Amino acid sequence: MPKILLVEDNEMNRDMLSRRLIRRGYEVAIAIDGQQGLAMAQSESPDLILMDMSLPLIDGWEATRTLKGAIETKDIPVIALTAHAMSTDRDKAMEAGCDDYDTKPIELPRLLGKIEALIGKLA
Amino acid sequence: MSELPPDLPEEIVERVQHMLPRDLLHDLRTPLGHILGYSELMIEQMKDAGNEEYIVYAEKIRKAGRELVDMMKANFQSK
Repeated sequence: MPKILLVEDNEMNRDMLSRRLIRRGYEVAIAIDGQQGLAMAQSESPDLILMDMSLPLIDGWEATRTLKGAIETKDIPVIALTAHAMSTDRDKAMEAGCDDYDTKPIELPRLLGKIEALIGKLA
Repeated sequence: MSELPPDLPEEIVERVQHMLPRDLLHDLRTPLGHILGYSELMIEQMKDAGNEEYIVYAEKIRKAGRELVDMMKANFQSK
């Protein structure tokens, strides 16, 4: 079962998205800020990280740069999630090292397509 | 609109009037995401449970949320 690390500070977003991913067969680990996200990327060895970008303590851009600069975590795909929807927001996320980008409100089929493109379809 | 130069073309003034502060758009997207996400989750779970009676209500909530998102996309851009 592929494991997704969801790094998200908004409680309702965490609850809603984790429930929907679990229903589709993913294991979900949850971090509530960038600092915890960095620690759990090491301890949980997720197959993919969904990274909210506006996070407390360490924001998603800095967390992604740190992940992509560390040998243990550089190969974990990161999808940026943000409620900012301008093209510059996408560019900023990709420049930080994110492998893909999606906007809120989440359209689950679109997000699942991006997840599957990075880690493959569930059996 | 008092900050706008008086000689701006009407078309430009109209476009600026339809711009919303970036933070406000961000703040609108978050609860809209909750409305859409939880209504879709309710629909999925009610389908699993064979609870057809209330699916129609959840569908209406989801549809209204989607209309708000589409309206926001069509009419507003962020500053």
